[in-house]
Amino acid sequence: MTASRSRVFGAVLRRELATVVRTPGYWLTVFGLLVVLGGVLAVGGGGETGFIPTIVDLLMPTEVVVPVVAVVLGYRALLADVEELAMIRTYPVSMATYVCGVFVARVAALVGSMVPFALIGGVVWLTASPDTTIYATHTGVDSPLLFVRFLVLVVLLGIPYLSMSMVAGVVASSRRGAIALAALLLVGGVLGGDLAVVGSLGGGAGSGSLPARVAIPPNGAFRGLVFEHVVGVALPPDSGFVSSRAAIGILIGWTVVGVGSAVCTLTVGGAVGDRLERLRVRIESVRDR
Amino acid sequence: MTETRPLIRVDGITRTYGGVPVLAGISADIHPGVTAVVGPNGSGKSTLLRLLVGETSPIDGTVQYEGPNAPKRIGYLPQRASFRESFTARETLAFYARLLGKRPDGHLERVGLSDAADRSIGDLSGGMRRLLGIAQATIGDPPVLVLDEPTSGLDPTMRDRIFRLAEEYATAGTAVVVSTHDLDLVDRYADRVLCLRHGSVAASGSLSDLYAAHGVETATDLYRSIVHDSSIETDPSEEPTGSVHVTGVSDR
Repeated sequence: MTASRSRVFGAVLRRELATVVRTPGYWLTVFGLLVVLGGVLAVGGGGETGFIPTIVDLLMPTEVVVPVVAVVLGYRALLADVEELAMIRTYPVSMATYVCGVFVARVAALVGSMVPFALIGGVVWLTASPDTTIYATHTGVDSPLLFVRFLVLVVLLGIPYLSMSMVAGVVASSRRGAIALAALLLVGGVLGGDLAVVGSLGGGAGSGSLPARVAIPPNGAFRGLVFEHVVGVALPPDSGFVSSRAAIGILIGWTVVGVGSAVCTLTVGGAVGDRLERLRVRIESVRDR
Repeated sequence: MTETRPLIRVDGITRTYGGVPVLAGISADIHPGVTAVVGPNGSGKSTLLRLLVGETSPIDGTVQYEGPNAPKRIGYLPQRASFRESFTARETLAFYARLLGKRPDGHLERVGLSDAADRSIGDLSGGMRRLLGIAQATIGDPPVLVLDEPTSGLDPTMRDRIFRLAEEYATAGTAVVVSTHDLDLVDRYADRVLCLRHGSVAASGSLSDLYAAHGVETATDLYRSIVHDSSIETDPSEEPTGSVHVTGVSDR
């Protein structure tokens, strides 16, 4: 990275982090996350059940609330103000550097937003007793390290949603449009992937390819990785829920697609619109002759 | 007025949106000094300014920057520029200055915002925000400044202050292009006028030449003479079709 690029990247990163820290809505979202996770923990029998039962309890809500937090962080990150971007474009700033600065700052914010998960892990660590549930027979593997793994996977689930929601913000021309697209992304990501898999099975697709198809949406990849590397550790010799490499590759792929699309839209989106407008004018002039 | 080398050449630009013409065949040269872009609402002022900045491209024609090489060639204050409310004026400007590896303090002082440097954007008045916007636009000392209606909605004192600032930058050799409806300020501060009507140039040139050509003494009378009278004579359904070369502004 050249000096000017690193300077721009640093300036954007600092500003985005400060923006997130100073936005009360983000703190409220984190508080909401804490309330939801605390509620799930309480309903599931509290921290004394152990790490793996807690993770199993948290798995389903996590697949909803983490994408929500990520989308809240991302949907207006790039187009908080269209005119602001118009001013920034007059500076020698590449849109790739700008988008990367915003993205990295928002990823850092996403990691920070996952503190409620760490707090839940802390509660379990302080209160877990080894002989209360079915999983107590596997207490030899019920370790805080598994919860740390789970935390890492939770962040890995959030990042693609963050990345894709940034694209939603870029593509939409208004705040309402961005919200609508972000909502569509959430519904599509959280439910759409699983429904597509069920649909493909109903359509006669073989169950042999199920692990690969399950991992295509971010939620499926996340769930597969949790079963493979967290919950599955307590259930030997069951494994092969999903190909770990493929699942991680898919999570990274969605992320790269999101960031890349945002960069492309901001870099050439206007030029494409102008070309289409030119084409339209030519067609109309030919038609008028 | 001594004729200088233009910093931007606009040659026969046309711009449509959804097939509807907004600007048609406009040519103009932008020289150092204050160039006021005037015209009724919807006449294409903001579109012309966005084309100058490069924020959008013409469907036909070219906009060519011919000024000195600079890291930031054009400073821009959009019509509805806003800044992040939770940041102070100094922090806001520091961000833009960092993009160029510069410091913001001199610019805040120049627009008279030193005392408000540590106030958050949310606590600044509308006029102070515009001044901050101008400070942002001038970071890096760009040869061209484009200000889109910087005085709309402001009190007379603040309007005058903003035009005085534009004049100061122009005196230092900057080409300041400012769109406005404040014709009394055009009288006082503009060197040249570019008057748009229905997306075409209705008149352009140095203020004194235009006054002489139209037999008027104020920008308000000039505006009435050019825009109001010709709009009565013009069929409202008329769309801009022909190419209009800007006389006076350009010596080509």
